Amino acid sequence: MSHSKPDTVSAVLARGRLGIPSVVFFVIAAAAPLTVIAGGATTGYAVTGVTGIPVAYLLVAAVLALFAVGYVAMSRRIVNAGAFYTYVTRGLGRPAGVGAAMVALLAYNAMQIGLYGGAGAVTAAFLNDRYGWQLTWWICALAVWAVVTILGVARIDLNGRVLAVVLLAECVAALTFDAIMITHPADGQVSFDTLAPTHVFAAGIGAALVTAITGFVGFEGTVVFSEETKDPRRTVARATYIAVAVTGLLYGLSAWAMSVATGPDRIVDAARTDGTDLLFNLVSPYLSQSVITVARILFITSLFAALLSFHHTVARYLFALGRERVLPALFGRTSRRTGAPKIGSLVQSGLAFAVLVGYALAGADPIVHLFFWITVTGGLGVLILMTLTSAAVIGFFARTTHTEGAWRSAVAPAAATIALGGILTVTLREFATLLGVKPDSPLRWAFPAAYAVAALLGIAWALTLRATNPHVYAAIGLGADSDTGTLRHPDLIRQPA
Amino acid sequence: MRAVGSASTQHTVRLADEFFYLAHDDRSGRLRLFESAAAYGLAAALLAELGWERRITFESRYVRVTNAAPPKDWLQHLVLDRLVAEPRHTATRTWLAFLAETAYEQVATRMWQLGYLQPQQTGRWWRQRTVYVPADMNTAAWSWARLSHQLRNYQPLSAFDVALAGLAVHTQLDPILLDGTPPATRAFLRHQVELAPLPLRDLFADLGAVVGASVLSHRTG
Repeated sequence: MSHSKPDTVSAVLARGRLGIPSVVFFVIAAAAPLTVIAGGATTGYAVTGVTGIPVAYLLVAAVLALFAVGYVAMSRRIVNAGAFYTYVTRGLGRPAGVGAAMVALLAYNAMQIGLYGGAGAVTAAFLNDRYGWQLTWWICALAVWAVVTILGVARIDLNGRVLAVVLLAECVAALTFDAIMITHPADGQVSFDTLAPTHVFAAGIGAALVTAITGFVGFEGTVVFSEETKDPRRTVARATYIAVAVTGLLYGLSAWAMSVATGPDRIVDAARTDGTDLLFNLVSPYLSQSVITVARILFITSLFAALLSFHHTVARYLFALGRERVLPALFGRTSRRTGAPKIGSLVQSGLAFAVLVGYALAGADPIVHLFFWITVTGGLGVLILMTLTSAAVIGFFARTTHTEGAWRSAVAPAAATIALGGILTVTLREFATLLGVKPDSPLRWAFPAAYAVAALLGIAWALTLRATNPHVYAAIGLGADSDTGTLRHPDLIRQPA
Repeated sequence: MRAVGSASTQHTVRLADEFFYLAHDDRSGRLRLFESAAAYGLAAALLAELGWERRITFESRYVRVTNAAPPKDWLQHLVLDRLVAEPRHTATRTWLAFLAETAYEQVATRMWQLGYLQPQQTGRWWRQRTVYVPADMNTAAWSWARLSHQLRNYQPLSAFDVALAGLAVHTQLDPILLDGTPPATRAFLRHQVELAPLPLRDLFADLGAVVGASVLSHRTG
């Protein structure tokens, strides 16, 4: 028997491998549940004036689960599987891939920088309320920015155990609040109105759907861990579905519970009056003040976790693109002592600083104009990326020999592409509702147009590289593996483990 | 007094030892490089030593044992034994990951046995750890001084130094060699490394890829 001897290599490498719970924790914590519930859902009600937010969360969770079928199947077969643009490169070609990379950079930066608005405003409100200080939102935002900048260059993530404890506490808080709100409905009866499927066809649903998508950004990160899991085939797939299901149900339930507590007809007005305090104000009559304080602190830590997570995402994107020489090679270098993608990290922080200073000088509203506008614009970018990636999965499986069934390689990705494309279409049509501006406002086109410009620049740059630097062109999408590109036929496709 | 070590090899300069010196401060013994890159660099150096001894070779992304005769050095012997005993694992990346788990301690032990390093306890009681401090600063600084001097003067590197420089470039350690030099020096270094024989360049490519991947998938804790 050839396998009678113990496999010492596999045994050593299996040490410290991740199981399903670890992967789920990492991903959901980055998605920051309390940020989405207390910040995203409430501001979504307030700005869009749409009551169908809960059903939008559930619908988006279903569409993303469908998207994950082909996405996870493809992730096992490509190198640099953590980045959307790699999928687009392999499925739709290198020019499309670089276009997608530029869209991704813009989108993740928008997610990250927008969160500073939320973090600054919420932290300032909390400190001013509690200690009677007179802090402005941007002082708090810059303080948080300084911490994120330092942790980014020092390559410090939040520790796995700390993250797990905070995440569990967030979920417990959210579920407790939900139970209280549902058992204390407005007018004495529980209304399921905001969960009615008819909302899907109502005006403004596009705005609600992209608000919901924004809450799920980060769930695609499960595949980053595929090489570090105990069983790449099962762990990543299950962790992805569990993450989508858990967050989808939690968001849907919480958004609905808020509408029960205010009454579905008053949720929009209540959200407009109370803003991000709505969730806490609704439950405070029934809980001790210390519990509310803890929950408010958890809201702030969840914003912080999301900020740090998206900061690292952008820095790593810049690093991977620098390694490929799609961006200047400088981005591909790391800090010698810490191994942090230093230049990428500093550039992201620099950009965030510039935007924060701009918002502070302009006197814009941190919650509506920074937190909501910019993060949903980030959500729009991620929606574009998901739609492209889903189409790329079809293209990839059509061009490679594989053993996946038709469901994973064609049917599910096609259905997901159509669904995501549909959401994208209604979102673009209702972008004015989403921003809460007049239908003829130039802003409704300015934000989506930024992505079109980024994509076109990326495509043009890829075509330039093809003509002037074929080596770099060949390595597009390889990320850290690009060192192998000049030497041998790149290992574009790997056989599933 | 030297603890162990066969007399015939004690004056041989070995790649992993030289990389160990390069990756640490010659005075304090403090690591100059982030941990995972140092571990992968030492793992690659151990594989390169076996390549140097003509026991293994690198073909595209795979390691192949060409001669299973035991090398004189105990650590090379140990690594080769594993390669021979586990024929089902052939990917260079797998072996880099496997060896990286233990390479640091193993290389440090080998150098300690030859009297090159002295273990010292540092840090307060709650975060105490062992640092290997070079016994002789001049020996420790020699690999850095030699490479840096030759690169600054655009002198072609020996085959051994090409291998050492390649390890430095692919673990992102090269800034310490190039500190304060014009871009032309970096280009010269790149060019010298590209002159390495193909099997070695294959090893370097996989080393660069695992170090890059460790940057992308890093998590604290």
